[in-house]
Amino acid sequence: MLDFFSTIGGAIMAPLYYVISAVLVGFHKLFGSLFGEASGVAWVLSIIGLTLVIRMALIPLFVKQIKSSRNMQLIQPKVRELQKKYGHDRERLAQETMKLYKDSGTNPFASCLPILLQMPIFLALFRLIDQAAKDPSHERGLMTEELNTQFGDAVFLGAKISDTFLNTDDIGVRVLAAVLVLAMTATTFLTQRQLMSKNMPADALSGPYAQQQKMLLYVLPVVFAVGGIAFPVGVLFYWTTSNLWTMGQQFYVIRNNPAPGTPAADAKEERDRAKAARKGLKTPAQLEEERLAAEAEERRAEKSQTRQQPQRQTKAQRNKKKR
Amino acid sequence: MKQLLIGLIRAWRFAISPLYGQVCRYHPSCSAYALEAVTEHGAVRGTWLATRRLTRCHPWAAGGYDPVPTRAGSADQSPSTSTATRGA
Repeated sequence: MLDFFSTIGGAIMAPLYYVISAVLVGFHKLFGSLFGEASGVAWVLSIIGLTLVIRMALIPLFVKQIKSSRNMQLIQPKVRELQKKYGHDRERLAQETMKLYKDSGTNPFASCLPILLQMPIFLALFRLIDQAAKDPSHERGLMTEELNTQFGDAVFLGAKISDTFLNTDDIGVRVLAAVLVLAMTATTFLTQRQLMSKNMPADALSGPYAQQQKMLLYVLPVVFAVGGIAFPVGVLFYWTTSNLWTMGQQFYVIRNNPAPGTPAADAKEERDRAKAARKGLKTPAQLEEERLAAEAEERRAEKSQTRQQPQRQTKAQRNKKKR
Repeated sequence: MKQLLIGLIRAWRFAISPLYGQVCRYHPSCSAYALEAVTEHGAVRGTWLATRRLTRCHPWAAGGYDPVPTRAGSADQSPSTSTATRGA
């Protein structure tokens, strides 16, 4: 059974080793010529470059996601209706909301694919750096024995990047690993908090969801700490860079495609108005408001034109008017 | 085997899922679906159902409500026809 899995795993990983090592070696050619081929800086920058390339390759998925969440504004009243109707029953509310997303072709979620794609890449990088240190003569992908040796022995800020917190007594590795764990925790925490404080309607911030978010505060550092002591420092650089990218990406979404009815949406509306005022134009929201106002005005005018029915008056009132 | 898978999925849901918040375009989410599928249908069919679901969860899919098929329902009709028309 285990053999079977390792065969499948090997078949999936083999092409990945080539892709990952190709990007890595490409960047290393550049940074190696700048900082020295065996230097830790060159290898760390190569890993960061690899991360950026992978995240850039995933941008089409991200754009697709933004497009499919573009009409959130339009279905917002319906979402409200569902919340009112099924607010007491979270399971039913989730079902109905998802149905609505499907029927309207608008879905605010990114799907599981970006995460699924990144997992084997992460694993491949881990294997490359781990094996480069343990068995440099085994050439994976485009890594030669010479590159393996350089990669496995590279030292960055006094820490060997193929070392993990657990398999070393070197204080430099431990300090760097701890710093990276803190950085990962901080970026993920900030990403989540930004999402909650700016891009969530106020009513979503109470109840079980908020509870779950509070749990996250305790789970996050534990997960990163466990990962941080088990993975080599080089892999932690990948992880941290990736987290930073996610944070920036989310900042972009919150700024340009905020969820309706949130502080971020209000802020965007205000910015749009200010920008439109500077250019002497009007925002779509303002045009819509004006259109509604004009319609109401028209209706009022129509009403005033229709003939008023004479009102019943007493003789005294009539006489009063005549005079 | 089944218990091992359930343990793995539970560990994933405890440790990894919170890291990226809700991303799944379906309800139940892919990991909740996998957990239920393996519990209901056993290791082999559950894994198969969960894998199919994961391949359906991409930005081009509409998403929506997509529950695990019930045992009775899936026994007499082919599951591939019922899932192929949905989602992707």
